[in-house]
Amino acid sequence: MTKNSIRQTLALGKRSTLELFRQPALVVPSMIFPLFFSFLGNSSFGRTTSLPGFPKVSSYLQFQLAGTIVQGVLFGSVTGAAALATDIENGFFDRLLASPTSRTGILFGRLAGSVLFGAFSTAVFIFALLPFGADVSAGIRGIIAMIISGALISLAVGALMSSVALKTGSSEAVQGTFPLLFILLFFSSAFFPRETMSGIYATIAGFNPISHLVEGIRALSLDGFTASATARAVLVPLAIAIVALVIANSQLNKRLRSN
Amino acid sequence: MNTATQISTRAMIDEQDLHITTMRSAGQLIKRSLINTRRLPSAFIPTLAMPIFNMVSFSGTFFALTKLPGFPTDRSVNWFMPLGLAMGAAFSGVGLGFSLIRDLENGFYDRLRMSPTSRISLIVGPVLATWIRVTLVAIFVFIVGGLLGARPTAGVLSYVCSLVAALGISTIGAGWGLGLAFRFQDMRGAAIMQMSIFLTMFMSTAQVPLDVMTGWLHTVARVNPVTNIFRLSRSGWVNESSSGYMSWSNVYGGLIAIAVLSVLSLLFAVRSLQKIDK
Amino acid sequence: MSNSPIIAEDLVRHFDDVQAVKGINLEVKAGEIFGFLGPNGAGKSTVVRMLTTLLRPTSGTARVAGFDVVKDADEVRRSIGVALQDAAIDPLMTGAELLSLQAVLYGIPSAMMKKRADELLERVGLTAAASRRVSTYSGGMRRRLDLALSLIHQPTVLFLDEPTTGLDPMSRLTLWEEVRRLNKEGTTVMLTTQYLEEADQLADRIAIIDHGKIVREGKPVDLKASVGAPTLIIKTNIDQAEKAKTVLSTFGDLRPGAEGALGVGLRGGASQVTDVVRKLDEAGVHVQHLEINEPSLDDVFAEATGYRLEGSDNAPSAGDNGDEEPAKKKSRRGRK
Repeated sequence: MTKNSIRQTLALGKRSTLELFRQPALVVPSMIFPLFFSFLGNSSFGRTTSLPGFPKVSSYLQFQLAGTIVQGVLFGSVTGAAALATDIENGFFDRLLASPTSRTGILFGRLAGSVLFGAFSTAVFIFALLPFGADVSAGIRGIIAMIISGALISLAVGALMSSVALKTGSSEAVQGTFPLLFILLFFSSAFFPRETMSGIYATIAGFNPISHLVEGIRALSLDGFTASATARAVLVPLAIAIVALVIANSQLNKRLRSN
Repeated sequence: MNTATQISTRAMIDEQDLHITTMRSAGQLIKRSLINTRRLPSAFIPTLAMPIFNMVSFSGTFFALTKLPGFPTDRSVNWFMPLGLAMGAAFSGVGLGFSLIRDLENGFYDRLRMSPTSRISLIVGPVLATWIRVTLVAIFVFIVGGLLGARPTAGVLSYVCSLVAALGISTIGAGWGLGLAFRFQDMRGAAIMQMSIFLTMFMSTAQVPLDVMTGWLHTVARVNPVTNIFRLSRSGWVNESSSGYMSWSNVYGGLIAIAVLSVLSLLFAVRSLQKIDK
Repeated sequence: MSNSPIIAEDLVRHFDDVQAVKGINLEVKAGEIFGFLGPNGAGKSTVVRMLTTLLRPTSGTARVAGFDVVKDADEVRRSIGVALQDAAIDPLMTGAELLSLQAVLYGIPSAMMKKRADELLERVGLTAAASRRVSTYSGGMRRRLDLALSLIHQPTVLFLDEPTTGLDPMSRLTLWEEVRRLNKEGTTVMLTTQYLEEADQLADRIAIIDHGKIVREGKPVDLKASVGAPTLIIKTNIDQAEKAKTVLSTFGDLRPGAEGALGVGLRGGASQVTDVVRKLDEAGVHVQHLEINEPSLDDVFAEATGYRLEGSDNAPSAGDNGDEEPAKKKSRRGRK
């Protein structure tokens, strides 16, 4: 990257970040809903933590924290990608393309907003739930690792959603993936351990990438700051993010060629 | 069209019994609503898919719940099928508010309001159409639930109670949705409808029975009338030995909750419609 | 009390703090076509919505077809037909289905329904399209269906809210014909429009509303006359121009004409043309071309409101200037 393309990426990153944070009506629900779900879950499922198959936890909330983080990041990423699709719809994207801005700068600048949002909302969830018993065994280093993990998950999901935006150019199509995310979330181990699920559900949850994203962060909050927990929390989303970025980049190139 | 025929048309219209006119108007509005459902199924499919998804995913993901001591059934589908149905019914109800907002925004509703038909028929017609849709949803949910292993414990009454609960919830949702739509006349109303219905539903025994809950939720759910409706809906799906099993005392609370909340929400809708020209 | 079909007295309507209609008085006589004009945001739609029972006046009264729009709203509804702006019609329904819905809502007995519907479809030329969904209709067909719907109960008073906006010239002419025919059969028509030509063609009388008040009211011909004298334009040889100017200036103020043409505002009206020609002849001026331009409603409108409407000459686009009407903002958000 040249000095110029870094500057462009930063400028676009700033724009996409400001855009997210200046529209609280879009961002706040992606924080409120997961928080509501976790308090609801804590009261509803508090007694289940003693069942066989459930890991040793101080409260259901402690178990649930990871699921809440992933849920919030998933929903927030849709908002960011929908903004990209809106850029395409209203012509801002074409204006960028018509300028000498570096092509990757356009993509990374857009995703920078998602990364910051992921880190921010992860921190919000951790500190909002901490006083209610969602202890993080891995301590402050664990919290930092979780925030990094949240940022990477946001990058991964953001890149995937951006691929949809680039391919379709329609914010409606991006919003349309929302139910799909919901289904993925509910067929994962975001709310209950895989070990407690019945047959086919446990198998589905095992194949579900959401489960693995959740379980990495969960390892940090339950097992402490171990090498394996940290590796799971960071490497799994990193791997998915790299694949997603490759896909997004190829979608970007396709769109550039077709223009 | 000369003055003489105008007067004779007026005379024939005036001869019509007011009640008959109201019923015919309501009937026509039911017809319109069902025609729209048939011709635009994409708007109906979510209300059909959501309860199914709800039932399927919750039954599996929250399977562990049935292992808790004292849980009223050992079949998780039995527990979550009424929840799925209730969600579908609630959203069919508020969905009426959504389509009303569309009618208000594109001006079609002005046409209805400018007609001399009774204001009651403008509300009763669409609500009855919702009942028909909810019944279809219920049949579909019962079939899929049965395939997944839901087994009634009180025979036909099991289905009847769940259906009555679903119709009740859809009526309450419809009144609430229509009222908010009349007041806001735009999509802000829709957001409030969805949020409020969602929160009220989940802050009850939607997910777990009262004695499994802890903390604040227990306090809220105990006084939430929706809890009564869920008790009614599940009375034929819990174990015969459970305290929630089909009995008059487990049913009447739900019926009263439905009656009272339906009346209140429909009154809210009527009042809001009367205020729309203010 | 007068028994004119539309009477408004001191009609006022506020939306929160905005005074959309600031006390208007109107009387539309039986059998009239009344044109109601005004720039966007002037309060036109708000007045119509009050007269058609959709909106309650903040103060003042209005009687339509002899009934009070607030106290006897249902009686008013039974007597009026309304064809709405943008022809709000459910696109998923067919024309025939909408007609039968409308018939029931207006309490038409089942026995009469089919006959009425068929007559109306025939009348607006939609018989062949009756069983097609409205979404397949053209703009003109929708307007005609809208008109048919508003006639289902044979109303004595018909409100047409911008009935031809967006229509092609042919469809517009068809609709005008139908309005004239209805009027000839005895229906009183109140027409809002932004096309001055439409008002000029159809209306017996017009009113112009601006900033919530009626600023002009009367017969188009009188209003036009009130704006000023018609302009006489002549062309002559350049060497005779000075002589011609001297003659013309005795009939009124000289006005600029295009490309060497000379213009004069005829103080004494169009009937002076023969005098002008005689005087020019006497002075030895050879007239090559002569035309007389009556003031148009456009001039009346411009003089009354300071706007020229879209489509008229040198229009500084009225629409950009006024905000959308509060009435629409409140109840029809999201349209257009």
